[in-house]
This record gives sequence, C-alpha cells and structure tokens, in this order.
Amino acid sequence: MAKAFLIDLSHCNGCYNCQIVCKDEHCDKDWLPYAAEQPETGQFWMRIDEKVRGQVPWVRVSYIPTLCAHCVDAPCAAACNSEAFTRRSDGLLLINPEACTGCRNCVDSCPQGSIYFNDKLNIAQKCTGCAHLLDNGWNVPRCVDACAHDAIQFKEESEFGALLSKAEQLPGVCGLGAQVYYLHLPKRFIAGSVVDLQADEVLIGATVAIEGRSGFTATTETDDLGDFKFDQIPPDEYTLTITANDYTPLTVTANVTVADFSVGDLIISKA
Amino acid sequence: MKIKDKTVLQNLGSCGFGGASLVGCVDVLDGKVARIRPLHYDEDYTPEDLNEWHYDIDGHIFRPKMKSLLPPLALAYKKRAYSPNRVPCPLKRVDWDPDGERNPQNRGKSGYVRISWDEATTLIARELERIRTTYGNRAILVQGEGHGETKIVSGAHGCQSVMLDHIGPEKGEYTIQARQPDSWEGWYWGAKHVWGCESHGQQNPQDNVIWDISKNADAVLFWGADPETTPWGWGGLQPSRICFWFTEIGVKQIHIAPDVNYTNAVHADRWIPVLPNTDAALQLGIAYVWMTEGLYDKDYVESHVEGYDWFEYYVLGKEDGVPKTPAWAAEKCGVPSYRIKAFARWWAKRLVSIAHCNGGSYVRSCFSHEPARLEVCLLAMQGLGKPGVNQFKFIEWVLQGINPLPQSEIYPGWGPIYHGWRMSAPKYFIPKTMTPQAILQKDDSIDWYGHVVCSMKREDQFLHFEYPGDGPRIHMIWSDTPCWETCWNGGSAYQDAVRDESIEFYVVQHQWMENDTLMADVILPIATVFELKDVAADIYTGQWNTVVYEEQAIEPVGEAKGDYEAVGEVAKKLEQLYPETYAGLYEKYTNGRTIDEDIAYGYTQSGIPNDEYPFEKFLEQKYLLFPTEKDWEQRPVGFELFSKDPQNYPLRTPSGKLEFYSIGLAENFPDDKIRGPVPHWIEEGDGHFERLSSKRAKDYPYLLVSNHPRWRVHAQHDDIPWTREIHTCKVEGRDGYKYEPIWVNPIDAEKLGLTDGDVAMLFNERGRVLGGVYVTERIMPGVLYQDHGARTDILEYGVGGLDRGGANNLICPTGTSSKNAAGEVTSGFLVGIEKVNLVELAMKYPEAWSRDYSPTVGLVASARIIDDSKEA
Repeated sequence: MAKAFLIDLSHCNGCYNCQIVCKDEHCDKDWLPYAAEQPETGQFWMRIDEKVRGQVPWVRVSYIPTLCAHCVDAPCAAACNSEAFTRRSDGLLLINPEACTGCRNCVDSCPQGSIYFNDKLNIAQKCTGCAHLLDNGWNVPRCVDACAHDAIQFKEESEFGALLSKAEQLPGVCGLGAQVYYLHLPKRFIAGSVVDLQADEVLIGATVAIEGRSGFTATTETDDLGDFKFDQIPPDEYTLTITANDYTPLTVTANVTVADFSVGDLIISKA
Repeated sequence: MKIKDKTVLQNLGSCGFGGASLVGCVDVLDGKVARIRPLHYDEDYTPEDLNEWHYDIDGHIFRPKMKSLLPPLALAYKKRAYSPNRVPCPLKRVDWDPDGERNPQNRGKSGYVRISWDEATTLIARELERIRTTYGNRAILVQGEGHGETKIVSGAHGCQSVMLDHIGPEKGEYTIQARQPDSWEGWYWGAKHVWGCESHGQQNPQDNVIWDISKNADAVLFWGADPETTPWGWGGLQPSRICFWFTEIGVKQIHIAPDVNYTNAVHADRWIPVLPNTDAALQLGIAYVWMTEGLYDKDYVESHVEGYDWFEYYVLGKEDGVPKTPAWAAEKCGVPSYRIKAFARWWAKRLVSIAHCNGGSYVRSCFSHEPARLEVCLLAMQGLGKPGVNQFKFIEWVLQGINPLPQSEIYPGWGPIYHGWRMSAPKYFIPKTMTPQAILQKDDSIDWYGHVVCSMKREDQFLHFEYPGDGPRIHMIWSDTPCWETCWNGGSAYQDAVRDESIEFYVVQHQWMENDTLMADVILPIATVFELKDVAADIYTGQWNTVVYEEQAIEPVGEAKGDYEAVGEVAKKLEQLYPETYAGLYEKYTNGRTIDEDIAYGYTQSGIPNDEYPFEKFLEQKYLLFPTEKDWEQRPVGFELFSKDPQNYPLRTPSGKLEFYSIGLAENFPDDKIRGPVPHWIEEGDGHFERLSSKRAKDYPYLLVSNHPRWRVHAQHDDIPWTREIHTCKVEGRDGYKYEPIWVNPIDAEKLGLTDGDVAMLFNERGRVLGGVYVTERIMPGVLYQDHGARTDILEYGVGGLDRGGANNLICPTGTSSKNAAGEVTSGFLVGIEKVNLVELAMKYPEAWSRDYSPTVGLVASARIIDDSKEA
C-alpha cells in the first residue's frame, strides 16, 4: 500500500525542525544505495516556504513544509534519461544515485523545485522519505519524528480516513498523483479597524461586508476593539462596505489577488 | 545497512548553570555523531507509569508528549561540535610576552600561535601566581557565569572559581563578575518592590496558572513575550504547544510589542504595535481609562493594595499637572488614543492573564523597572489572583520554584557535584553591567546597590557596595564566559576595558574562536557535551522531570578537554611549580573523586529516592523519568490565596500588600526621582537619553529593538550552517558575506533608499554595527529590529568602533537601568541607519575582508591562527 504525507499547517509553528533534521540525516553522510551525501547547504529536500502576509498591524507568517510529492505520475521520472528512478512498494520514489547520469532533466521537470542538482557528484538528489531508516526499523522519516506538533504525518493513505477528503495539494503537483497532502493551506485575509476620529473612538458593532468580483460575499461586525477580519477568503478584488447607524456608509476596495491586505484604520463619519 | 553504532543520551540545552532541558538521542556511527533525534519516552514508560497529567476543557485535551520536544538549535547541534571555528589546541597571542611587552592594545587584532597544554598551563599558573603575590588574590577577576552548554561535573561556567576557592585563606578570595538577572531586569529591579515576589521579581507562585487560564481566562497578553523563540534553549517546544492549545480552546492571544515576533507570527489574534520601551505610557493610559471610567476592581484595591491613592494622584495628573490620558500616552507610545481606550475597556470586561518569556525591550531597556511595576499595578486593578488573572512565564519552568504547569513528584538536582558557579552572594565582586567602568575608571571608585545576583531578595537592593574599596584593582581576567561584548550593555566599552594596560593577563577557556575569546592572551580548547561523560537533570520542559546519564559520544575534537579537566590541569601545574603553596590543590579541587565517582556520589545526593530508583537502573536505562505529583490539581492557583485572604497570606512586601507605593524604595532612596516609590513615566535621566523626544534623536532617529535571538541562545549557535541559510537568521550581502538581519518596515525602507539584501550600518556615538536589510511588515514604522548576540567580526575596536558581525550590544547604552538599579540596558535605544558602500569598506579594511571566512559558518578559527607550517 502506498503511504502519504499529510501536513496540517494549522499545527505548524515554523520552527524549521523538519528542514534541519533532513540535513542532519543527509549532509556529511551518504546512505547508499538510497542517497548520496547532500551538500552542507543549498539543498532542501524538506523545505520551509516562508511568507510574511499582510501589513502593519495585521501581519501573519505562513510556513509551508514542501518536499518531493512522490507523485504517481511523476514528470521527473518520465524525464529521466537513465532510468534512475525507482518506485518502492510503499510509494516512495527514489533516485538511484549510482544510476543517475546527471542529465538534469528531472530537476527542470519538477513543478515545485523539489529536486536539486549536486554539482560535485553530478547527480540529482531529493527527498527519499528516509527510506534507509524505514528499512532499518523506523516507522517514519526524520521530519515526522522531529515535529513537536504532529503537523507532519506519514501513514498508509487509508489510515488517514476522511482527513484526506478535506486536504489539498500544492498547485504544481496537484493532478500528478502527489502523495503529499495539506490541511489549511493559506488563502487570503482582509483585516482592519473602523474608527470615528471625531469622537476619538473605535466603532464597535459596525457591519462590514465584502463582495468579490467572482461573487464571493461575506459579512461580519467589528468587535470590541473595532476590528474585523475576513480570513481564508479566495484571492480576488473585493469591495468593502462599512455601515453603522448614524454614520455615512464607507466603501473601499481591497485587492487580494496576489497578497493579503490590511486596510488599516478606516475612518467613518457621522451622517 | 548500519544506521548507527550506538546511541547515547545528551542534554542539549543551552541555559548552563547546571539546569535546562532538551534530552536528545545522539546516534553515533563510525566515531561521529550521525544524528540527533528526540527521545521517545514511550519505549520505556507508559503514561500510567508517570501519573500523566492532562487538562480537559469541554472535551479538548492537553497532555505532555511521550517524546522530548527538541528545538532546531538542539537538533543541529552536531554542527557546533564539528565547527571549523572550534579552538583546535591551546593558543597564545603572538605578541603577548609575559616576560616582555604584553601589547594589551593589540588584543583582538593579533594572531595566535599553537602551544602545548603544558606550555599553556605553565603560563597560566605563573601569571596567576605573579598576579596573586604582586597585587593580591582579588586582582583576579573571574568571569565564570552565563549561559552555555548544560554540564554538571564539567560545569560549563565557574570551574575556575571552584579551584580558586582553595587558594586563598578562605573561599571567595578573588573578584567575581557577579551576574545580573539579565533577562529579568525590570522584574528584579522594579516589580518585586510592588509584589515582593522572589527572587526574579516575576509572579511567584505560578502554580497551576496555565490550567486556570485554560478554564477561566478569556485572553492572554503577550507583552513582548515570544514563546516560539526565547525558551528554545531552555525547554524546547512545549511553550509552542501551549500557544496552539490556547487557540484550540478559544483563549485569545494579544501581542503588544513593536515587532511581530515568531509567536505573534503564528498564534496571535491581535497585534498592538507599540514603540520600544514606551509600554509605561501605554500602561498609564490604560490605568487612566480604568480610573476615570470606574473599570477596575475597587474592592480588591481597597483590601489588597497599599498606596493606590498615590498612584491615582499621579495618573490623574494631580502630582505634575499632566493627566496620563490616552491622548498623552498615544504621543509617547505610538498607539492611537482610540485604541488605548478600546483596549482598556476590552481588558476590563474580560479575565486576562499576562505571559512572559523575559525578553524584549519591555524589561531590558533603560528604566525597565517602571513598566514592570506598572504591569503589576494593572493586574492588581483587575483582581490579581482571581480566576483567570495572573502573570506567568513560558520559560525556566521550575527555576526558583516557579512553574505554571503541574508539578513533578521529584525534582532531581546534582548540586553537590555541580562544578559551576552557584549564583550565591559573592564575597568580592563587581556587577557584570559595570565591568568596563571598574577597569577604566582608575582614579575613581565605582559604587552600586545590591549583590545584583538573581537569587538575592528585595532587601539586598538596599545594600551599598563599592569597588575597589580596600582591595586591589583587577589585573587578570580568567573567563569561561567570553561573550561580554556581544551580550551586555555597551560592548564597545568592554573592548576598551580589556585592552587596557592594567589588564596584564587575560585567559579564556572556550570551545570556539568567537567574541571575547579573540581578545585573550591565552586560549584553552574546551570540549563540547558530546566529548564528555556527564550527567544532567532535565527539569524545565514542562513534561516529565528527567535525569540523564550522558556517556561520551565522540572523542574530543582537536586537543579539547572538559571545562573541569582544563582547570584541573592548571591546578596540577600550580602544585608542580609551587609545591609549598599549592600542595594538595588538585585533590581539594576534585574532592579526591574521579568523574565516575562524582556521578555515583551525586546520585546519592540528588534527591532521588535511591531505593525506589536504584543507581544501577539509572546506568542501565541511561535516563529516568519521574511521575507527576499526586493531586497536582489541589495546589492553589498562582495568587489565589492572597487574593482570597490577604491578611493570612500576605506578600513579601513591608506592608504585606501590593505596594503601588513601595515602602522599601521610599525609605531607602528618598531622593531617587527615576525609581521613586510610585511607578512613573520617565522621559530621560540618569544618563539615558534614548527617547524619540531626545536631542540625540536628531542624529539617531530610530529606536532599535533587540530581542533574544531566534537562531541563537544569546551568543551561542551563530556558526550553524543549517540555520544561517534561513533568511531570518542571516542576510547574504552582495559580497557573499552573511550579515545579521536588520528588519526595516517598507515605509522606512523607501525613505532610506534601502532594499532587501542591502548592507546597512546601525550607528550612534557608541559605535557602529553592520547588518543585512530585511524589508518586512514584521516591524512597525520608525523602529528597527536586530536580534542581539551576533558573533563579532570587528573592523575597529572600542567606543566608536565598527563591527561587521552585527553585534548591536556593542552600541547599546553603557549605563545601568537607572542610578540605583544596576540592571543592563540592551534594547530600545536610539540608532541611525544608513546604507554602506561595501567596496569602500573592503578597501578601507583589507585585512578584515581577507580573513578566513565561510558563508556557511562565518569566521573560522584559522582567521586568527598563524599557520606555522606556512611560516616555515
């Protein structure tokens, strides 16, 4: 049975343990025939993609652990000139370092940049799922073992049950039979506060509505701090409308097609 | 395939002092560390064996994990053992001649030559004896404290003091550099005068506070706290789990700080940006709202508080004619007045506790005793000790008895065989914050209050001391703590001090060629934890108390010896050279025991019931876990007892109450306008002019935040290649050099013409440090951020100097918290910033630019060692 990784980003604290233990395992030491030695720096078989989202004072950082998806329809394996790729019974896809001829085709073909080229050894390298450990008594790869939050799990696909039905895959490998799934991949947020400057007060209970060009709509009220936040909304250009009794409605736009957006303190005036 | 030859257990914590946590499995293969991984307790224990504790909130469960929760600094630690920056052998500064020119002015500049252990210990023994007989024992300054590897028998800091205790007429006949409560400055020098909490000054007790918050609180304020960073070297990732837990059960997390720290980045429900070290203004603005709108617990204040009327008199402006309104506060702290009002009302309507990890500008800036005191006042106004209203910490759990998580049945300790310094009251000492003044103010004495050591009680702060008094001045420094310049207040001044001619001999024992080590006359190579046999107690994790038998994992790297062993070699040499004076010194130093005998003896004294937990089982299993205390739930929560019955459970203040008017300060420092009896907003004074309102701000217009670092523990870990390639750890300049990041808000970056990857200089009249620009929304406009503790790479030494490494402690204020509070000031100070021209710098400092350097590691040892094979 094929195994899969399930990464729950709502449990990821961005500590980089997974990235670092991967290096602890594979730098300075080869595990032939599973893997040749990884260079001391520069390769990230498990890579944290870190992104700062929003603007002062609404800022968050997302961390996405990204590794080879061990795709069933792997474009890298198809591109290989030397049949260096092998599929294990547990679904892990390996590059045989002794068979790799250094053509680099696989490096270029990976949609998410998870294959690295080792200039010194003239071979392509990537995540092995720590297969050398799995074959020697370990149940999970290093990245899974080192996570304090169980944010990364590695199991038979069937053992995840209904969780996989809620999961997503990274856009590049989605549709390729990727064996890495994610929960809570970040979408977009719009956040801000509503303020009556004349009264020098935040406005509590004001209605804030958004409408995207695609038709997505949502409504909320400002809280006791005068704040509002629309989280995990689709990327889009939105129109925000703020209404409150005795106040002139305010309309602003927020373009979150590319990035999240803090609208800051929106000033609203008495009608 | 063989994936390991053996596994040994090691405590990889970075706290030092014999404490800290982080037990990991170290797999060894072919004589090298192959991997470091968590220890899985469930291979030897079940939760039932350990009387597992858990919180249950509406079916949501929080319980300890059955594995150790190592942070990346521990998991990557083998790179430190094999760092090309290790001190490879004993070294002597090439132009230091004990029989001729000593060239103190060249400390930091000169190279080093290899010498043997025999030569090195001979030099140290002769110098020690010469200094001692010429000036007296107290001319020897021991720098034997500070954070570092967690070692017991091989005490990471202070072995030399253990030996020196045997060379005087009685113990303590030398001068100690007394370690400040460096991360707790505001609490220690301020808060404890309000609530009498000993001895750090943070809330004590904190029993079951996290459980209470889980059940009762609506929110936790993270006032500068960063549980995703500061506790890493102490207790790992349990604090991170607690933050996720709060989210899971709906306890809101509000962050108040100038920066989006690593906890805020992941866990925060709201960030309130505040200018560095202006929290006191924000607090006063909140108090004003509560007072004028009747939003505080008047009954509680009536029965639990001493001197509230004085505080109210000040806040409402009756004392100085300036009401501390939200509008007044907004101008100081940068939080709009409408938000201060809303936040004050929001807080008053909810049950709110406050979390800390010690650091940030909040408690490490000038006058830090004021915001710390004000925090206690605010908590008191909302009924401190009532359900959901306490202060707690995410770090150093158990240290001095403070632990907000369920207690353990057993607290093992290795005190009798711990060879580090014990932080008790030193006999002769100077405060660490005043070392430069002690050395440089030759025509004058220096004076201060208190033993300044963190274990001292409140009243100790009223004792007056001076240096040199009737003793000699310092002429020799023996350090195993070589990071003064990059960790304390005014490192540039420290450089001037140790390069002064009065310091005739400076010996450093250390693992790595870094920071102060590069100014020593003789350097001894020290082994890392992997290279030694030792024991440890893992009691800070908030999981299971543990003792660990640490076998030696690998052979010593180079010619390294253990800290304890290295000092023992000096003891032997003293005996050999001066048998009449030092006969039996080594025997006294070691108590006549081998390390194995020490461990066996220590176990009998550890507090572990030896019959229930036989020593043989400890040796066989290599570690022991201890169960949770029975009926842990029965312990009163935090300040619950005081809250319910202040008469019978008084505080350790003169009045037994929360002293908004601190009687001890009033009686002992009646003329102190900076730390008066009632906490105030202090604009400037006692030598500190670090406000945006200061005239200095014209030249240095930004406030710098310098937190405990994410990718180091203070100065430790700066040479790990796997962290240095993370963008928030180092920014690669266009010259390929990895610079310490400077966070710049995009608004300021545009004004300053800075872009990501530029190299910029932070500067003030105390000196200049470089950094790599990281343009980010994680810092508020008008404020710059750079972690503290970067490894120095000095281009020009001393005040006004220049550091390529980005050690901003070099340019922080040299003055203490205030005149009568000898704390450090290491964050929230004024700097200027400008882009630098790397080509011009390279031309001006060609020697520095040609130093042996690896981007993956930083400077390497060979940068300073004269290769005699090349000479030949």
